[in-house]
Amino acid sequence: MKEMKLFLGPQHPGMHGNASVHIYVDGDIIKKSFLLPGMLHRGFEKGMERHSWVNNISLIPRVCVVEPDTNEMAFAMAVEMLAKLEVPERAHWIRMIILELARLSIHLMAYGGLGSPTGLYTMMYHAHTDRNTILNIFEKITGHRVYHQYIVPGGVRKDLPVGIEKDIHSFLDDLESRYEEYRDLGINNPTIQARINDTIPLPAEVVWELGVTGIGMRSAVNKPYDLRKVKPYARYDQVEFDVPVAPYSDAYARVDCKLQEVVQSIGIIRQCLAKMPEGDVRVPISRGQAMRWTVPKGHVYACVESSRGEFGYFMVSDGGTNPYRVGVRGASYPQGLLGIEKYLPGTRLDDAALWVDTMGVCSPEIDR
Amino acid sequence: MLSTKFSPMSKEEVDRKWWEIGDFFRRNSLWMLMYCTGCCAIELPPAMTSAYDMERLGMGPMATPRQADVLLVTGYLSLKTLRRLIYTYEQMSEPKYIVGFGSCTINGGIYHDSHAVINQLNKYIPVDVFVAGCMPNTEAVMNGFVDLMDLIKNKKANGWKDYHERYEWYLANQKAALGEVRVHDEFHE
Amino acid sequence: MTNSMSNTEFVTNLVESKFKVLSTEVLDKYQVSFEVKKEDVHSLLSLLKTSGWIQLSYLSAVDWPNDNEFELVYIVFNWDKAVHIQIRCRLDRETASMNSILPIFPGCKYYEREAHEFFGIKFPGNPDHEKQLILEEWDDIPPLRKDFDPRAYSDRKFSKMEYKNDFVNKNGEVSKQDARTKRYDDIDKLRTGGKK
Repeated sequence: MKEMKLFLGPQHPGMHGNASVHIYVDGDIIKKSFLLPGMLHRGFEKGMERHSWVNNISLIPRVCVVEPDTNEMAFAMAVEMLAKLEVPERAHWIRMIILELARLSIHLMAYGGLGSPTGLYTMMYHAHTDRNTILNIFEKITGHRVYHQYIVPGGVRKDLPVGIEKDIHSFLDDLESRYEEYRDLGINNPTIQARINDTIPLPAEVVWELGVTGIGMRSAVNKPYDLRKVKPYARYDQVEFDVPVAPYSDAYARVDCKLQEVVQSIGIIRQCLAKMPEGDVRVPISRGQAMRWTVPKGHVYACVESSRGEFGYFMVSDGGTNPYRVGVRGASYPQGLLGIEKYLPGTRLDDAALWVDTMGVCSPEIDR
Repeated sequence: MLSTKFSPMSKEEVDRKWWEIGDFFRRNSLWMLMYCTGCCAIELPPAMTSAYDMERLGMGPMATPRQADVLLVTGYLSLKTLRRLIYTYEQMSEPKYIVGFGSCTINGGIYHDSHAVINQLNKYIPVDVFVAGCMPNTEAVMNGFVDLMDLIKNKKANGWKDYHERYEWYLANQKAALGEVRVHDEFHE
Repeated sequence: MTNSMSNTEFVTNLVESKFKVLSTEVLDKYQVSFEVKKEDVHSLLSLLKTSGWIQLSYLSAVDWPNDNEFELVYIVFNWDKAVHIQIRCRLDRETASMNSILPIFPGCKYYEREAHEFFGIKFPGNPDHEKQLILEEWDDIPPLRKDFDPRAYSDRKFSKMEYKNDFVNKNGEVSKQDARTKRYDDIDKLRTGGKK
């Protein structure tokens, strides 16, 4: 049979974000596949060199659209490592609340996004409505729905508003009470199970070859390799949580791990709200002269665990008012580019969208 | 008392009447193309699902450009996307409307000095409604759609006619920024 | 897990005993950075890979036009020892070329391709590294080099929004436009370190 070239995306309902997968098919079976990145390239790494350290705060959340808070956290950690800033104790706990709320929101979005390749749209409506509640909570805390610019070098921008604990608790209780319903809707549903069981497996041997991190890796190697456990940042060493793992990474296992992480995140937020001390939330950096603030020389790499894996900022300072070089290690870089090239061939055409969804390929952070 | 005497209408008048009738149905059932060109698309899922429920305006997502009425340009446009956007826009059947989201489509926004992002969208394709903000929140997005419907009602959403009339001007702008407008896909091969 | 302070010491001993390291820096208990010669990078990476640093986290370059050099950065990670290792080496800027580490870390394929695209460093051994990845029909010098000015490129290629004054200045008042210009000048002065 003759090979045929197809484009999955950029304009395709099953594609998440503005990227394109070029697929050569023989009948239904993928023979060759490539990701075509770069449609969201904005020249971030160059742009950051051209702004001062403080101006960059407004630029960095835009690197990854769906998950701006991990960007802010990684950037803030890198600058704090360079400038040797001590973050106040309360700020650590507020950061963890924000990060875990963001993780909840993106897991819900990914779980809802599973609706489009599998054709089950009910789940999407439930998940996006809950995500909208999280965005409303973010709006109360930070003033913005999506790009918060809340985690800044030296702490967080402002203290939590009075009474926000009640909102967060009521949302978490609500989500927890409907957790089983979520599972029944999605991955306990026999139709969905037949669709995603044993689909696009990722063998444990090839994980290291690709460099995949996050849920894709943990569900393959069956070990709790989570940066929050392995090299704890903020105060993740003082809260109790489990890292869900699985022995065999197929689409089902990855979605299952995601849903289990939702439970763990709910637990972490509750512990944070209970353990959070009073006090300052921000170290003032060179008060009144933020534009002139300089950071000592150095090369650092700071990384956090995003919902898709290790998200890192490599940062070089030459002692000036601007960063000398900022490199972004997008968490979905390996599974997006090399993963699609190497491990999609051999699967069926309709599974390509499932790979993009369950491995979490976020095109803005690949392109930058 | 109204006269019941039949007076024949000229052809232009008949056409106008039919367009008015067509516009009535068009503005109450707008199909928007599912193409997320940039980051403002992240506010579309809340607008589409139960929280804001776009369907009460008669809007729904459409998978293919040939059956869609509205093209949402959600945010910044890199050159690579602009090529594909022009391609998509020219595939859509007329009448077609464009809604530009965010400050990036108006004047470049936060990426005004970037080497990869164009600054002003309506130099390249005609835009009917701009929704300002970085990013515009969901209420603003919904408001933008209502504005588009009003424009269609008042016969002011004429971007697609403008694209016909001043095609040379648009093409010259596209060529100045893109070099070659056609998409080359010899990427990995 | 063992005490992680000993992990950084373990790494430092491991590397310094076998290679000539130009500079070592222990950034915190989870990160060590080495600067080595260009020739040592491959053997050092192989050694680290056999010692458990099996994940290539990041690969990129930094441009130092004053030294006429590029700096290549490799970051590898060991999940059991929880130590990130930065390995940096300097290349000549005019004839920037570095053998690919594709046989050691296959994950470097696209990182190297991107480094070639944004800096113009050649990676012999990586078959695809000269193809364009992110940019399309690029017609200037690689954009992340320090001597590339994105604003000039943007001004040249993309037309800007034209603003016109639609207000009238009353006599004796500082116009808003002038005030804004002055404020931007002040900000520029502050940036470059001058007094207000």
